[in-house]
Amino acid sequence: MKDVNIIPLFVIIPLLTAFLIALLGKTIKNFSEKIIVASSSLLLAFSLYSQILLRHTPLKTLVYNVGGWLPPFGISMVLDGLSSFMLIVVNLIAFFVAVYSLSYMEKYTDKPKFFTLFALMVSGLNGVIVTGDIFNLFVFLEIASIASYALVAFGTQAEELEASFKYTIMGTVASSFIFLGIVFLYGFASTLNMAHMASVLNSKLSIWLLPFVSVLFLAGFSLKAAMVPFHGWLPDAHSSAPASISAMLSGVLIKTLGIYAMMRIFFNVLGITQAQLSILMFLGSLSIITGAILAFSQWDFKRLLAYSTISQVGYIVLGLGLGTPLGIFGALFHLFNHSVFKSLLFLNSGAVDYAASTRDLRETGGLNKVMPVTTKTNFIASMSISGIPPFSGFFSKLIIIFACIQKGHIGYGLCAVIGSILTLIYFMKLQKFVFLGELKDKFKQIAEVPYLMRFSMICLAAICILAGFLLLPALRPFLDRASDVLLGGTNYAAAVMGAALR
Amino acid sequence: MTTSRFYPLLRLDALNSFVVLAIALFSALTIIYSLKFIKEKRLQYYTYIILTAFASIGVVLANNLILLLVFWGFLGLTLYLLVSMGQGSTDAAKKTLIIVGGSDALMLLGVAIIYFLTDTFYLDAIRLEFNSSLAVISYICIALACFAKAGAIPLHTWIPDAAKSAPAPVAAFLPASLDKLLGIYLLARLNLDLFTMNTAMNTFLMVIGAVTIITAVMMALVQHNLKRLLGYHAVSQVGYMVLGIGTGNPIGIAGGIFHMLNHAVYKSCLFFTAGNIEYRAKTSELDELGGLAKLMPVTYISCLVASFSISGVPPFNGFFSKWMIYQGLVTQLQSADYRIQAINILCLAAAMFGSGLTLASFMKLIHAAFLGQPNNALIRRSLQGGHKDEVPFSMWLPPLILAVICVVFGVFAYQIPLRVFIFPAVPGVDFIGTWFAGLSTLLIASGLVLGLFIFRSRGLGSFIRQDAAFMGCEPEDLDKHRITGIEFYNTIKEYGILKGIYQKAESGVYDIYEQVKKVLSGAGRFLQYLHNGVLPSYLIWALLGMIGLFLILMKG
Repeated sequence: MKDVNIIPLFVIIPLLTAFLIALLGKTIKNFSEKIIVASSSLLLAFSLYSQILLRHTPLKTLVYNVGGWLPPFGISMVLDGLSSFMLIVVNLIAFFVAVYSLSYMEKYTDKPKFFTLFALMVSGLNGVIVTGDIFNLFVFLEIASIASYALVAFGTQAEELEASFKYTIMGTVASSFIFLGIVFLYGFASTLNMAHMASVLNSKLSIWLLPFVSVLFLAGFSLKAAMVPFHGWLPDAHSSAPASISAMLSGVLIKTLGIYAMMRIFFNVLGITQAQLSILMFLGSLSIITGAILAFSQWDFKRLLAYSTISQVGYIVLGLGLGTPLGIFGALFHLFNHSVFKSLLFLNSGAVDYAASTRDLRETGGLNKVMPVTTKTNFIASMSISGIPPFSGFFSKLIIIFACIQKGHIGYGLCAVIGSILTLIYFMKLQKFVFLGELKDKFKQIAEVPYLMRFSMICLAAICILAGFLLLPALRPFLDRASDVLLGGTNYAAAVMGAALR
Repeated sequence: MTTSRFYPLLRLDALNSFVVLAIALFSALTIIYSLKFIKEKRLQYYTYIILTAFASIGVVLANNLILLLVFWGFLGLTLYLLVSMGQGSTDAAKKTLIIVGGSDALMLLGVAIIYFLTDTFYLDAIRLEFNSSLAVISYICIALACFAKAGAIPLHTWIPDAAKSAPAPVAAFLPASLDKLLGIYLLARLNLDLFTMNTAMNTFLMVIGAVTIITAVMMALVQHNLKRLLGYHAVSQVGYMVLGIGTGNPIGIAGGIFHMLNHAVYKSCLFFTAGNIEYRAKTSELDELGGLAKLMPVTYISCLVASFSISGVPPFNGFFSKWMIYQGLVTQLQSADYRIQAINILCLAAAMFGSGLTLASFMKLIHAAFLGQPNNALIRRSLQGGHKDEVPFSMWLPPLILAVICVVFGVFAYQIPLRVFIFPAVPGVDFIGTWFAGLSTLLIASGLVLGLFIFRSRGLGSFIRQDAAFMGCEPEDLDKHRITGIEFYNTIKEYGILKGIYQKAESGVYDIYEQVKKVLSGAGRFLQYLHNGVLPSYLIWALLGMIGLFLILMKG
């Protein structure tokens, strides 16, 4: 098999899975479970393999031309350091979430439908990551979004439907902004291929177009990434969805649709300006503080985590907004870490919900006596997200704060530090009210969750502990290659064109 | 100078070598003590203790700021895990980790600024002047982390809570000894090596130290729980160390560092004895204790020695280091600036007054726990048995060893601790007053012997008549009117200004932790009010945000 041929598989495998489950899931017993695990482990293997491929590729870029049409005429699919990094993040979390859902979704009816939507969402996410065509990006973004709208409403209770409705409206508004931006760009550059578009924009000047389009994109992607003040939909949506889907939404969906797409378009296609960077820094810091304060006041396990997502995504955006190598490196590292620990935290909330049937912090307490595994994984994730060494979150926050200071932004550095303290505070609150204290009588009978759920949680917790090793020289290329793509800026065009013609 | 393979990362010099030794000593004693004391979750407990010892040595030896930061933060985690092993310690453990972990985040900021200013992570290559606001910020950030770890105002509030709820050996190990050693070690390192101190920063430290001494000892006076009382003293004594280091002259700094060592010794001893009491009486409430001196003579002697030591009674070690700190302050009086002189005099007064109050509150402790009459069924039963009921060997040995160290470090202060440990670390110490420890000890001891002799031989006992107690011509049961000791000094709560202050202190007004919580929930309520769950308002925010983006980006 030629190397580049694995690129479309990232979209085809989950799409096929979705199709097969929809077709046969009801008729063959346990078909959906088997095939979803098979496909997500295959995807994980392929994404890890993509790292090995890239190491031996000269330009660190692989391009698959759909139908053999060369760019700028055909649609191309691009695998470079950044997309490979994101693929690993998405498929890693998707794999563990899929395994977890096998047991967790027992309490909902109709598993096949769930896994159909799940596979569809994964294919949308992978599509956004590998595509090299801006209109394709929009299409995949919509596939992932629509699947997630349906998944948020999966429980079909009043609360879930309301959340899904809000999420749909605001998501659609975001999509329209993004779509409008793409329309303007197409009208101006007469091309949809992102690499080609980048080189056209470089040579053709327009006074009003780029700022105008960048406002549309910034607003659209900030809505998708739930930056304050565009975050209104997130707490409802992330807390109402089934826990495994919340893990996907918080862990990878808003990062792929919001952060990744924004990075790709701003850094690699439009070429980011200082004003835009400053806005990103500001929005990031605002999100860090606002999200953290709101998280502190929550009494619902998942809602607390949802606000915490807003706060933590702020760190990623702050790091990106610095625009320095260290800042971007830290942002990507934090992106990886946050995917792991936030999915883990949502899975833990699911485990508590599964065992104790409540998410209200005022009702739980003392669960460490009956759920030892969940207690430990939750503790590891909480310490990691609060930036306590030696867990992963400490290192990424450290890098981001160092990057802030290095660029002379003491104020933003202080914001990051305060955010970190607040994070510690509200996670200690979570720890106290859920797992410590007196065990109530009605919870004396509950048992630890089934082993498939424990398996996912333990693996993710292990990654939380070990992720710090990604900074070792032997493993650093994983992050370095990704940040190099962003630092290269619009050199992306040359890299993709070069790789496509080879 | 020989260079080891680990050199740029780890470094051993005069300042940290004896701290490493002390850490090893306290770890060993704590482990010996815990053999009998800790009965459940042993595997976890010893894992955490050993990890703590390892990380502490890491902090002390680290020559790289990042390494130091990692070990330092990790200690916060093990501290949390150890404290949370106590009964009903959830809140205390939470508070501990929030304050300690939060200050670690500040330290991170400080380290980042130092790196920005000097471009190096290696401690021995850093030498900063206070010539920019950044340098000041970085110093304050790291100093706050030291204060939180050691327990100086305003970040001390976790110590009394943690000391009360944690298992006694944990309290002896971490808040009492290791955290002091580390916090003050780092502060000394900052002042001696990393920064060139100026008068303003020194004065800042001195004021922090003096305020810590007085406020914490005032709180200690009115405590009713043995371990909590010791916890407040653990805070108060940090004030002396900070004060000593803040004087900025060699004798003061040497005194501060010596006091750190001494404090670790006697405070560990005190917490161990508190553990012994708790082990026998199953309670640490002073109200219920009493009469233990007959029951546990070894514990009593150890506790008495350590109490004298902490109160600065000669010839014990606590006196010697306090005396060095006073000399440091007196030396500072020669400063030309009258404001500095005034502050020095105030600090000196605070330190001496604090020392007196410490003695007062330890008299209360000794009375309530070891003398007096018991109010506790367990103790009474043992007392009526008439035989001694000392705790197991592995539990009385560690405090006894520490009590012996208290005496040795006091009597042979010049010969052993100062010459071997302190003088190499702080060069140029110049005593302005002299204290012949050996001679004085001899005199004190002979005075005591003489007194004993008179008491025995002349038979002072014949002047003492013991008889039944009467009240209203009725014989009274003395046990009903026992003097528990907890009423000692309660009246100071009634004095004008102090009344209000104590009331506020008890409701947590001066607790930065409570205040932050209050501010946070206020801000949270406001933001929650804005998040009304109505879709149009969320859309309006998004729209406003977008308008803002338009205004900013389309301007150019």
